[in-house]
Amino acid sequence: MGTTYGREQVPALEVREISRSFGSLRALDRVDLTLRTGEVHALVGENGAGKSTLAKIVAGSLRPDIGVMRLFGEPFRPRSRSEGAAAGVAYVRQQLSLVRGLTLAENLQLGRPGATPMFEPTRAAQELQEVSERFGLRLHPDHLIDDLPLAERQKAEIVMAVAWGAGVLLLDEPSSALGPQEVDALLHLCSSLRDSGVAILFISHRLREIAAIADRVTVLRQGRVMASAVEVAEFDPHEIATLMIGDLPVSTRGRPVPKQGTVRLEANGLQVRVPHGPGLRGVSLSVRGGEIVGVVGVAGSGQDELAQVLTGLIHPDVGRVSIDGNDVTGSARGAMEAGVSYLPGDRSDGLALELSVADNVTAKRPTDPRLARHGLRLPKAIRDFARTLLVSFEVRPPVPEMPARLLSGGNQQKLLAARELETTPSVLVAVGPTKGLDPVATKVMRDRIFDVATRGGAVVVISADMDEVLDLAHRVVVLSAGDVTDEFPAWECTPARLGAAMAGITA
Amino acid sequence: MIVLGSVALGLAVGALLLRLAGHDPVASYAAMVRGAVGSRFAIGETLVRAAPLAAIGVGVSIALRAGVFTIGSEGQLVMGAVGATLAALWLREGPPFLTISGAFVAAAVFGALWASLPAVLRARFEVNEILSTLLFNYFAAYLLGYLLREPLKPPSSPISQSEVLPPAALLPSLLPGTRLHVGVLVAIAAAGAFALWVRSVPGFRVDLFGQNSTLARHVGVSPTWTIVGVMLVAGLLSGVAGWSQVAGLHRRLYVEVASGVGYLGVLVAVLGGLRPLGVIAASLLMAALQAGGVFMEQTAHIPATLSDVVQALILLSFAARLGPRLWRPRASAGAEIAAEESAVAGAPTRGT
Repeated sequence: MGTTYGREQVPALEVREISRSFGSLRALDRVDLTLRTGEVHALVGENGAGKSTLAKIVAGSLRPDIGVMRLFGEPFRPRSRSEGAAAGVAYVRQQLSLVRGLTLAENLQLGRPGATPMFEPTRAAQELQEVSERFGLRLHPDHLIDDLPLAERQKAEIVMAVAWGAGVLLLDEPSSALGPQEVDALLHLCSSLRDSGVAILFISHRLREIAAIADRVTVLRQGRVMASAVEVAEFDPHEIATLMIGDLPVSTRGRPVPKQGTVRLEANGLQVRVPHGPGLRGVSLSVRGGEIVGVVGVAGSGQDELAQVLTGLIHPDVGRVSIDGNDVTGSARGAMEAGVSYLPGDRSDGLALELSVADNVTAKRPTDPRLARHGLRLPKAIRDFARTLLVSFEVRPPVPEMPARLLSGGNQQKLLAARELETTPSVLVAVGPTKGLDPVATKVMRDRIFDVATRGGAVVVISADMDEVLDLAHRVVVLSAGDVTDEFPAWECTPARLGAAMAGITA
Repeated sequence: MIVLGSVALGLAVGALLLRLAGHDPVASYAAMVRGAVGSRFAIGETLVRAAPLAAIGVGVSIALRAGVFTIGSEGQLVMGAVGATLAALWLREGPPFLTISGAFVAAAVFGALWASLPAVLRARFEVNEILSTLLFNYFAAYLLGYLLREPLKPPSSPISQSEVLPPAALLPSLLPGTRLHVGVLVAIAAAGAFALWVRSVPGFRVDLFGQNSTLARHVGVSPTWTIVGVMLVAGLLSGVAGWSQVAGLHRRLYVEVASGVGYLGVLVAVLGGLRPLGVIAASLLMAALQAGGVFMEQTAHIPATLSDVVQALILLSFAARLGPRLWRPRASAGAEIAAEESAVAGAPTRGT
């Protein structure tokens, strides 16, 4: 694999005791990391583990609360991403930074940190040629960024960063939107870069790729380093997966099992093509009344698409969705009339933030005779109705007239629940329902979700929170890159099985 | 307080310009005020100019609240005027009630139809409605030009205009000694209907669509019906404004029948914060400035262009304060783009 360097070599990057909090959320807790020149060092962890936060701090877009960094032995305290870039740290994210509307040559010359805005076509073309050859790519100077497929754009951005003098490359989930061959090409490029002395921090949760390319691995969980600089020879994917997810509570089901009725939600062969990412590649799901199915998987495996298809907001390219026997494929209205409630992963999908809290919470029942007469809304009745609902769902402050955007994230979540769970739905699709909620509110929300099942509803909980899934679900379905890779009853769930399935390794 | 401050600033800059051009600012402003509200005729002028602005403003507000940025009122007004003229000529014999209603209905239908193609293009094919409605304004202008050169031009007339409308079609005057006509009542009715609309359930659902179309779809709002519906309403009201101009004010159809009123209506909607009272206030303000401006030109001998600049400065100074209080559709940036587009497209032409 990579060449080994002696201990005299100054490490490319040293991170010591870096900590960073966002309000009460401790995103990074005394993280130490050493990145050597000429190595691919993988940083793995679940969503929310702190990987991107650490990358942003190293890149300079974010400042740490405490801790120090050294770049090639010198103190490193970038105050902005461009300062970091000027010092030689390049941060390549999923939202690529190459400028659309310009050609590759233009980007190369004009994007260099500290460049003067004077474009010299011949020199730029030459430079591009050199750097393409160096890494075995075929980049044409006159190609517009817009015309290149994503994988090519990404590789172009990477080599340009190196051409601009980057000694440290931070790749944040570089393979998440790539197909298998594109991933291979990317890994090949990383290998060449490593051999030429670049230090690469490869942030990913895809253990298979990491096993293929990394020299050493560091595992982050909830902001802490769980395993530091594990040599690839000692790399055991299952063990890494366990470290990523942590120990699961042994007995997680204190809840009585509701009686399960007939199948209420049925989805067959769902396929959804999306511009970036795997989409859905043939997902089938059936959920009975009284049953809670937990859908788990790393972010970007198709969870959002699944939720939107099940609620009728997206029409799948292939496949059917039916509720209580009624076909509601691609019909949001049909789904609503069939009694679907939806707690979206992104709150702003489910709330009209500029409208009042009262408007939001009554949006599903504007024609209710208590709230409107002869087609005209009754403001006072709406306010009173809303206030009762707000209090019972513990939305604070329970002020109906307030614009919804003034509520905190957790209270917005409760507002969503107030609207969607006010009457018992036939089907509930909940994505990350307790995100942003404190422990007490989390318990209440989970109890409410469980309640839906007790009353005969079919529930799908799509969540990245293992504790949550195991608390609620009777059955666990694992989604990976748009496919269902594993499915098992909740009591058969082990961290290793779960972690492996999530990382794309089927047990 | 901030409102007064920014208006004072606008007036001060205007005064400076007037002074630099060699005019007495105080006399000029006084003339402006007299022209807007200083006599019975002036008040009539202000009201009669405000009416079509208010009607159009109402229609466009409803659409903007839904997140649909239609700026086709200019063309829809023209087509409404054409429809009214055709109906009036066809029903020239009839009792006035019939002729007037016929022209009204024709104007509404023509206006709505003119909006229908952009509406379908947006609803089905996601064609940007700012573009399509703007282009349709040009179509309407050319169509009008053709109609006035050939079919509708009486042989006796050397210039492109229609014959005078038959008496049965003309709207009775509302206030003797002014140009105020019955058509103004229609504008008032439209504003009243708008006030009801914003408190209604369908109005709420349409607004919800404008705020968050995903949420609206989840609660069962149909995107197609919403988009097409609001564009037809905007077209209908703009068409009716065209009827009002032709049957009430100008009494014949000619090329400058619109002269920027359609675009000003869009500005009125945005300036009025997409709310009923705001639209009424904005239309009165704009009408007052126009009426005052014309009077100022005539009596204080201010050149028309300078008068336009002064009007614009005052408008701007109001807008600067009203901006933050704009009813915030989620795409309020889009509303402002639509307003800018319409201001550029409808650079004020000399109206009557």
